Amino acid sequence: MKWLWYIFREAWVNLWTNRTTTVVATLTTAFTLACVGIFLLSYVNLRNAADWLQEDIKVIVYLDDGVSSAETQELEEKLKEDRMVAAIRHISKEEALGEFRSQFPSDSHLLEGLGENPLPASFVVTPAPSYRSPDAVSRWAERVLTMAGVAKVDYNQQWIDALAELIRYIELTAIGVGVILCAAALTIIANTIRLALFARRDEVEILRLIGATNAFIRIPYFLEGALLGACGSALALGMLKLGFELFRHQIASAGRFRGIENMVSFFPLSICLIFIAVGMGLGVAGSMVSLRRFGEGRG
Amino acid sequence: MMATDAMIQLIHVSKSYDRRIALSDVTLEIGKGEFVLLMGPSGAGKSTLLRMLIGEERPDQGQIFVQGRNVSRLKQAEVPYLRRKIGTVFQDFRLFPQKSVFENVALPLIVQRASVTDIRRKVTEALRAVGVEHNKDQLPHSLSTGERQRVCIARAIVNGPVVLLADEPTGNLDPERTAEIIELFKLINARGTTVIVATHDPHVMALVSRRVITLTQGGLAEER
Ligand SMILES: Nc1ncnc2c1ncn2[C@@H]1O[C@H](COP(=O)(O)OP(=O)(O)OP(=O)(O)O)[C@@H](O)[C@H]1O
Ligand SMILES: [Mg+2]
Repeated sequence: MKWLWYIFREAWVNLWTNRTTTVVATLTTAFTLACVGIFLLSYVNLRNAADWLQEDIKVIVYLDDGVSSAETQELEEKLKEDRMVAAIRHISKEEALGEFRSQFPSDSHLLEGLGENPLPASFVVTPAPSYRSPDAVSRWAERVLTMAGVAKVDYNQQWIDALAELIRYIELTAIGVGVILCAAALTIIANTIRLALFARRDEVEILRLIGATNAFIRIPYFLEGALLGACGSALALGMLKLGFELFRHQIASAGRFRGIENMVSFFPLSICLIFIAVGMGLGVAGSMVSLRRFGEGRG
Repeated sequence: MMATDAMIQLIHVSKSYDRRIALSDVTLEIGKGEFVLLMGPSGAGKSTLLRMLIGEERPDQGQIFVQGRNVSRLKQAEVPYLRRKIGTVFQDFRLFPQKSVFENVALPLIVQRASVTDIRRKVTEALRAVGVEHNKDQLPHSLSTGERQRVCIARAIVNGPVVLLADEPTGNLDPERTAEIIELFKLINARGTTVIVATHDPHVMALVSRRVITLTQGGLAEER
């Protein structure tokens, strides 16, 4: 088992003898990956927000003013049978007025002068989970609009669509930026390994001459790359988490957007682990690039 | 066509770098247990020949056999295993400066994943054989040049190689140290290891009355 000990020690010696380079490389890798992380974090949170909104979508079916209670009853039955409808709640004109008054107490005088209650009766429909996509909702809305007694069908889809559009842009940018920055991180690590290899080229040569296999010679450098990548990405996560908490704190104390701080969330553990694994992968790939270049045309 | 007791065979071996001829059409055979001096002026191709024996260079033409294996045809991945059978001693020692004498000598065993007990036993044996066991915890730079060359020899024999190659092993040593090192090679040879020493130092020739192979400008010039 001495050889295993040897390999780990060699990796450690590489890191230690080039400690300045190692620290700089880890920090640069960390900043680079943190930039990728910022995009990823906004992306994940906006996706969540869009999903919530889509999950939360309510379709409001406003009724014509003159509709009789029998007709209302009939329409309700019809809607209840619809596969698209998960839940339905009837709001009469009086209830609508009551709700308005309780929601906007200071504005209720606006309605006083009108004498008659101007608010329409409506059905608030919660779509079934499988019909909550933007397409399904809009198709259903068009169909309902043709039913007798229906004045208007309303839902907050424009909003959701705009958000979805935004998310698509962020997704594209995140992929582009991610690829570029990951390549940068890989180059940084490859360079560090190259320096380590260069500093120890004589020793590598000796190892070859005394019968070390390529694998034996290379493993310490792979370990070094993996460790650099893992440390860089872990540090990046740390920085992100810190920035994230600061941001949340700022929002909470600013008051203006209060409530948002409870909606945004950091990466779940699984994504954190993947993030670190990707960092490690980049490190190993970086080592591979350097070792390949270094090993060209040698025995 | 191969004699059973041939350790090393070169058959019509040629090698040139760009247009400079290092070896031209060399055919020779070195038997098991022989002690051979490889002489010749600078640039005659001595180092090139030794490098080919450990698979560091390949001949442009011809075949090279070590223990009956064609090393000019070895796959890259097989080269390390060839080198584990051949010990190599260098003029410039090539020790790891940050490792102790013991660790330096242990290295050929470590790269073969030998067990700790094996390593301890074989390294101690090799250090004793060359007479530097009391220096085992020192770093190379704290040794005299003669001691460093002994450590290098210990590293070359720690595996129990069938062949020991030495390229100008006494190039950096005074005549007294040279005599000691040559004596050591003779002892190693007496235990059955084939020894090939490349040198252009006439002192060495005076010390060894064995077979001498002389190269001039890449060609085999004379045998004694
Ligand atoms: N890697 C190389 N690239 C180019 N030319 C080389 C290389 N190695 C050796 N040569 C040339 O091949 C010829 C033989 O060189 P070699 O080193 O084998 O000679 P040598 O007998 O060992 O000399 P010395 O006694 O100086 O060590 C020389 O002309 C040398 O310049
Ligand atoms: Mg030479």
